[in-house]
Amino acid sequence: MKLLVCVKRVPFTGGKMVLAADRKSLETKHLGFTISPHEECGVEEAVRMIEAGGGESVVLTLGPPEAVEQLRDAMALGIDRGIHLQTDGQEWDGESTAAAIVDAIRAEESSGPFDLILFGNESADACGYQVGLRVAHALGRPCVTGLKGVKVDGASVRCEQDAGAGRDVYEVPLPAVVTVKEGLNLPRYPSVPGRMRASRKPVATVTPARPEQRLQLVELAVPGGAGRQTKLLGTGAPAAPAVVEMLREIGVA
Amino acid sequence: MSVLALMEDGDVGQQTLSLARVWGHVHTVRMDAVAPFAPDALAAVLQRAADDLDARAVFAAGTDRGNDVMARLAARTGLPFAANVVAADPSGSVTRQRWGGSLLESAQMPPNRLLMTVAPYAIRATDGPAPTAVDITRYMDELDPRDRVVQVKEHIDPPGGGVSLAEAKVVVSGGRGVGSKEGFAIIEELAGLLGGRVGCSRVVTSAGWRPHTDQVGQTGTKISPDLYIACGISGATQHMAGCKGAKKILAINADPEAPIMSLADYSVVGDLKEVVPAISAEIRKSR
Amino acid sequence: MRLYRIVRAGKPSPRFDDLPGRARAEAVVVVGQSKLLQRLGPGLMHAAIFWGFIVLFPTILIAMIGAADPHATLPWLGAQGWYALLVDAFAVFVFIGVIAAYAIRLLQRPRRFRGSHLGEANLILAWIAGIVISVVAWHSSQIALGLNDYPREWAPVSNLVSNAWHGSWVPVLERAAVWAHVLLILGFLVYLPYSKHLHILVAAINVFFTRTTRRGRLEPIDFEKPEADVRFGAATAQDLTWKQLVDTMSCTECGRCQDVCPAYNTGKELSPKLLIMALRDQVRAESTKPLVPNAVTDNVVWDCVTCGACVRECPVGIEHIDHIVDLRRNLVMVESRFPDEAGTMLRDVDRASNPWGKPQADRTAWAEGLGVRVLQPGEAPPEVLFWVGCAPAFDERAKQGARSTAKLLQDAGVDFAILGPREACTGDPARRMGDEYTYQRLAQQNVETLNQSKVTKIVTTCPHCFNTIGNEYADFGGTYEVVHHTEFLAELVREGKLKPQAGTRKITYHDSCYLARHNDVLSAPRELAAASGDAVEMPRHGRRTFCCGAGGARMWMEERRGRPINEERVREAASTGADTLAVACPFCTVMLDDGVRQTGSKLQVIDLASLLREAVERKASSPPS
Repeated sequence: MKLLVCVKRVPFTGGKMVLAADRKSLETKHLGFTISPHEECGVEEAVRMIEAGGGESVVLTLGPPEAVEQLRDAMALGIDRGIHLQTDGQEWDGESTAAAIVDAIRAEESSGPFDLILFGNESADACGYQVGLRVAHALGRPCVTGLKGVKVDGASVRCEQDAGAGRDVYEVPLPAVVTVKEGLNLPRYPSVPGRMRASRKPVATVTPARPEQRLQLVELAVPGGAGRQTKLLGTGAPAAPAVVEMLREIGVA
Repeated sequence: MSVLALMEDGDVGQQTLSLARVWGHVHTVRMDAVAPFAPDALAAVLQRAADDLDARAVFAAGTDRGNDVMARLAARTGLPFAANVVAADPSGSVTRQRWGGSLLESAQMPPNRLLMTVAPYAIRATDGPAPTAVDITRYMDELDPRDRVVQVKEHIDPPGGGVSLAEAKVVVSGGRGVGSKEGFAIIEELAGLLGGRVGCSRVVTSAGWRPHTDQVGQTGTKISPDLYIACGISGATQHMAGCKGAKKILAINADPEAPIMSLADYSVVGDLKEVVPAISAEIRKSR
Repeated sequence: MRLYRIVRAGKPSPRFDDLPGRARAEAVVVVGQSKLLQRLGPGLMHAAIFWGFIVLFPTILIAMIGAADPHATLPWLGAQGWYALLVDAFAVFVFIGVIAAYAIRLLQRPRRFRGSHLGEANLILAWIAGIVISVVAWHSSQIALGLNDYPREWAPVSNLVSNAWHGSWVPVLERAAVWAHVLLILGFLVYLPYSKHLHILVAAINVFFTRTTRRGRLEPIDFEKPEADVRFGAATAQDLTWKQLVDTMSCTECGRCQDVCPAYNTGKELSPKLLIMALRDQVRAESTKPLVPNAVTDNVVWDCVTCGACVRECPVGIEHIDHIVDLRRNLVMVESRFPDEAGTMLRDVDRASNPWGKPQADRTAWAEGLGVRVLQPGEAPPEVLFWVGCAPAFDERAKQGARSTAKLLQDAGVDFAILGPREACTGDPARRMGDEYTYQRLAQQNVETLNQSKVTKIVTTCPHCFNTIGNEYADFGGTYEVVHHTEFLAELVREGKLKPQAGTRKITYHDSCYLARHNDVLSAPRELAAASGDAVEMPRHGRRTFCCGAGGARMWMEERRGRPINEERVREAASTGADTLAVACPFCTVMLDDGVRQTGSKLQVIDLASLLREAVERKASSPPS
């Protein structure tokens, strides 16, 4: 089996959002970076599939030179090699990201197609909800999104997706594309020998040209009420009407 | 000017409709128009409907399915797609959520057919003229079988029934302050009235008052409901790690100095045994 | 010898430095029996037997000569009256010691023996009794027969006993006694290597090689080596260092470690004694199976708070923490196996540079409104850098101690600054969890920041930061004068720069393990407590303090087994009748405050800096007398 998992480098915000001076990105001077959470589960799932069934796994990212750290993180978990679509740090919208990934996959597939390509359902930062689906469409492959369960069974893949209470089940033929969600599995903590080995695994670097963005970021803003400021609604039972009024304000009663 | 909306039931559908109406007359295709659910088929239907209507924009709710179908529509039409918008105007200027709503982005899209989903619970639903349902019979008849490759094959019911703690929109949790297994009756009552689930702190599960599946916290379930009500929970770091994803937190605690009282959005100082039943009674009264 | 071969095959451990310190340890702990005498009764019992055997050592030779020829003895010594007196006296002391030992074992039956092999000890004790009985029987029969080379009145006990010996069988008794003595001793020597009484040899060696300096320091792993040569802690008995192997052979199962262990005492799976015994069994069997779970369970490994009580108590120099940390290192770094919730901490430390997973930019939030200088890159260093630590920066309850400290430093006119967002977690929680790799990355990063800023002196409120920066950063090129805030503040009080006035609080001070036990900071916190109110001691205090439950990264693990350690400690504090539980550690603050809430105690948990601040304000607002 040959698997590709696509990941994105995102800052580890811990909650509070501080904008950079140009208001087009987050202030990340004091932030760590990580693989976007859904994709971490994608990496873990790919590693498990290869552990169980054998084959090769590849991790791909589109991002600045530092994003090689996230490729190494994925390889520390057991992914075999990396493909880095290197950017100058400017953000790429979902459409152009997908196009660059499609080009890279086509180049890579000259030696045989990926049986399964895994994406996160949406990135933690941009929340675009589209890259995996766009890639699947361009490649003419079926795609199921938001999975909490993925199981390759012969020539098809069984997909489970949370749907209200319970789950919807899909079954699509391989090769296929899936997008996964956190909760699919519990990603392992990388072993140190794994981390040491990851630094020696091969990473192919490609520098795609950034096309004109059709979803052009103009400016970012932090919505009001970020961070919790406690409002005392009252003391004892007489506080109940104030509580119910609050419940109605936030739309739960 | 016509716009097209992929309609869902409930609040999110009304919110979608409210934003779409600003643009022009709304034509709708229902999310359950294709059964069993097949997102590519639905995207194909939307594509043809939008073409026939010459729709300036296509809207859907920013739900899992809404985002899924709209991204498929974007891929097959080669158009950009903005997920979870909170404002949009026909010039192509949109405001959308990033980071799950912790950040807002103003963006510019080409002003021909805009594809957007509307962020759930980010805009107020308003009344307006009724939309027109699109007759999709012809589109359905002419569906390409390849658009049915991805379709729901079966549905698995949850083992316990009802929504899971992780998915619940409201979680009412009790801690040591609840005092006993029986003490959870008032917590269950409030959770029931709010359509939520009961959660608890670790002290409670280790005391055997509630099963571990109810535990909110670092070692229990991490939740991200719209509202988390913490009753008699002091707010140990390990507990807060499990509920920090809540959009809003209401803390009810006898101790005004308890850490949770400054970590919550709202607080009520007082004995939960008095405050919680009073809230339940007030909700009943207001219905 | 097989044991020697096993030890020689052990992994390296650098224990050949500081020879004067090692000699001192040997003199105090072995010859002086200092650790044993911490428990007076059993200590005196053991000291009597130990010193007795030192004294009786030459009698082995004397008896061998005497066995060969009843009329011969060791030249000079065999004829010395003072030596005869010593032998006589210590034979009695040893005998009393043995009786006391039996009394402890059979009548008193302390909890610390739970899990020990008592049968073997009982046999050995009988053997020892036999040795001293036979020596007295021999000496007394010698005196009765006039074979003694020493003046008989110098051996009062033997002399007294000799009065009972009459008749023709006395020469037979003399022969029988001396041969019995010699055979008992030879038998003992043969049996020794197979028994835990090997400790009489191994313990002396083990004590010599214990850590003499920087006790709170863990040995770093060299990750620069080729992967195959890196020692990722201990997976099997073959991965133990030679010192650890000697540790396992030194254990006498006395249970002093178990008796003071916070985990064991609150009903958890870990007993430091049973841990060492289980490792010993694997070592002796030369087993190649993984130590976890074959020797001990995962739970045992994670129950440890690294408080060091066991290490401090152990009379034979066993360093339990090193074993625990090595087992953890292997589980975490190779197996990726640990309590789930700790994974969150490890990831947060790795990615967010603090165990709370909060943004580094928020590191100065605690100081809001205080006007504390944040040291920027390239700026001149302050006289002293205030290393705030993660807990005061991110935990609501731990904040107060840092705020009070900052205010007091300002009151005293101290030139200080903080690193703000450039301060990363010291890595201590990751290191104590066994993730040495993450620890070293953070240590190197912090050392670089500190060195670039030309910091020379650091004050910190967190004993864990204090320990790791002060004792462990030197391994990564960071050498600074590190003082705990209690020490720094006590000095300011002594210098008259801070003038407190004691109030009416009744204060009991809880010693943090990483201050008192690992780093000997004992008096400064007590000075501050006394300056702030009426200070009383808990039963377990100073170096024999009882952990709050947060050490060894337990702060980030759920306490699933047994009773909560923090509640145990709070009950102890409450028993003093104090109204204020003074702390000098942000982790203790959080743990004990939780404990107070859960036990419903009325105690107020307050950092000493806040108590001092209160006392200083009291003085300032009181009318001049």
